[in-house]
Amino acid sequence: MAAPTRWPGGARTVLCVTVHVDGPSEEAGRGLNALGIHSRGRYAIRRGVRRYLDMFDRLGIPATFFVCGQDVETWPELYRDIHRAGHELAAHGYQHEGWDLGEAEPALLEKTHRIIADTVGEAPVGWCSPSGRKSRLTLPTLRRLGYRYDSSEKDDDLPYLLPEEVGQPDFAILPNNVVSLDDHPMYAIGRALASEVLETWIRELEAIEAGDGYVHLIIHPEANGGSGVPARAAAVEAFLRHAQARPGLRALRMKTLAEHCLADPAAWRNPRL
Amino acid sequence: MTRTTLVTVNVHGVGPEAASIPEDELFGRFGLGRYTYRIGLARVLESLRRSEIKATFFWPVFEAERCRALLEQCLADGHEVASNGLAFEDHISLGEREDAVLEKAHSRLTALCGTAPVGFRAPTGTLSDRTIPILRRLGYRYDSSFIDDDAPYPLDGDGGTGMVELPVSQGMTDATHFGQRLTQSRAEAFMIEAWDALLATDGYACLTLHPRADLGVGRAARITMIERLFERARGLGSDFQLCRKAAAEAGRQFGSSVPPGAA
Repeated sequence: MAAPTRWPGGARTVLCVTVHVDGPSEEAGRGLNALGIHSRGRYAIRRGVRRYLDMFDRLGIPATFFVCGQDVETWPELYRDIHRAGHELAAHGYQHEGWDLGEAEPALLEKTHRIIADTVGEAPVGWCSPSGRKSRLTLPTLRRLGYRYDSSEKDDDLPYLLPEEVGQPDFAILPNNVVSLDDHPMYAIGRALASEVLETWIRELEAIEAGDGYVHLIIHPEANGGSGVPARAAAVEAFLRHAQARPGLRALRMKTLAEHCLADPAAWRNPRL
Repeated sequence: MTRTTLVTVNVHGVGPEAASIPEDELFGRFGLGRYTYRIGLARVLESLRRSEIKATFFWPVFEAERCRALLEQCLADGHEVASNGLAFEDHISLGEREDAVLEKAHSRLTALCGTAPVGFRAPTGTLSDRTIPILRRLGYRYDSSFIDDDAPYPLDGDGGTGMVELPVSQGMTDATHFGQRLTQSRAEAFMIEAWDALLATDGYACLTLHPRADLGVGRAARITMIERLFERARGLGSDFQLCRKAAAEAGRQFGSSVPPGAA
C-alpha cells in the first residue's frame, strides 16, 4: 500500500483545472461592445467553452469554471451545459470587475451569486477575484453568502485555512499560481509559443510532484491571450494527457479539494508546520 | 584569469507593494510578496545549502523585521547580510531625509544581525548624488547597484574614495525576464547567454535572485533551474564569492586602503 498522503484518496499529486470564462461581460464592464477587435470574449462563448467541455469529456477530467454573472445571465444554456457535464461553477465577478468597487461590492457579489444559483440550480461555494484584487468587504460578504473557499491568493503553493474565528465556519484559501501555471501572462505578455508554455507546465508539474503536490492550472478559453484557439488548446490537452499518465495523480474540482481541507482543520490551518 | 560569480539575493516580500498600499490591504495580487515569507525564502536558503554556495543577501529593514527567523537562518548558514535600505525608498527623491534613512537602515540592520553591513544595494535601483558619500561616511566598503561595467571598479570618482562598485547584470537578474512573464526556458536561456559571456570577458559575473514567485525563483520549478545554472557555472570554472570578499580583493587590486577585518 502506498504511503499516506495529505490528499484525497491517498493521491500523490492533485490537479485542479480552473477555466476562467472571461466572456463579453468583461468588455461590457469597460464600457465596450463585444464586436470586431473586442470580440475576444465572444470566442469563449462561441467556441472556447465547448472545446474544453469536449476535451474534459474525452479525458474524464472534472474541472472548475470561474464564471462572470452577466455572461451567465446572457447565455444561460451554455452554463447549464457546463453544470450538467458535472463541472463546478464558481463565481468570478459580474463583469469581471478588475477595479475597486467600493461600497457597491457586496451587492454585486450577491447579484452574481444569485444568477449562478438560479441558472444552474446550485449555489457556488467558490470565488476567484477577477483581477486578483480583494477589499476588506470581500471575504466577509462571501462568507455570509455561504462560500467555503477563495482562490485569489498567490502567496503559497499549498491550500490553507484562514485563522479560526468564533462562530464562523472555516474558510479555505486555495492559492492560484498566475505566474507559470496560467496561460494568459505567458502568451499575452511573454509572447510564448504554445510548445514553450507546455514545457513550462511540465517542468512545474515535475517540481510540484517532487514537493508540495498541488497543481492548479488556469486556462482562459478565449481568443487573444487565452488558450481557446486550436494551437493553444492542443497544448492544454497535451499537458493534461501527460499529467494523467503520472502515477498517483488525481484531477478534482476545487470544491472537492476545499471540502477535503475543511474536513480536517487541524491539518490545514498551517499545512507547513 | 580567475572566474567568480557573486550570487546575490534581494530579499523582497510585500515591501514593494507596502510602499504605496497599507499592509493590511495587501490581498491577492498585491499580497504576492507573502510567498517570500511563507515558502520562497526558505526554498532559496535550502537550495544554497544543497549547492554549497555562500551568497550575499540584500535585506531591506522592512523585510528583516518581518522574517527574523529567516534572517537568523541566513546568518547561521554563513551568508553575508548587506543593506537594501529601509523600506523601498527612491533615493532620488529622498532629499534632506536621505542621511537619516540610510543611518536608520544601517543601525537597525546592525542591531538585527549583531554586525554592521559593509555593502549596499539601492532598494529601488535609484541613487542620488549623495548616496555614495553617505555610505562612505557610514563605513560601507562597496555598493552593488550599477549596471555600467563588466567588472568591479573603484568609486573614488563618485564620492566613494576607497569604496568599490560591484556592478549587477540585468541579463543575470531573474526579475528582468520573469517580470516580462517569459517562460522558464527562455529566462534560463537569457541568463546563460549573459553569464557565459561575462565569465569569458573579465571573469566576473553577478547573479541577482529574488525569493518571490512572480519576479523571482522561489517556485519549486525555478529552484531546480538555478541549481542547474550553478552547476553550469562551476563547469565553466567559476567559484562563488561573498560580495564583501570580492570587494576587498578588488580594493587591494585598485590600491584602496581596505581596513583589516572588512573582508
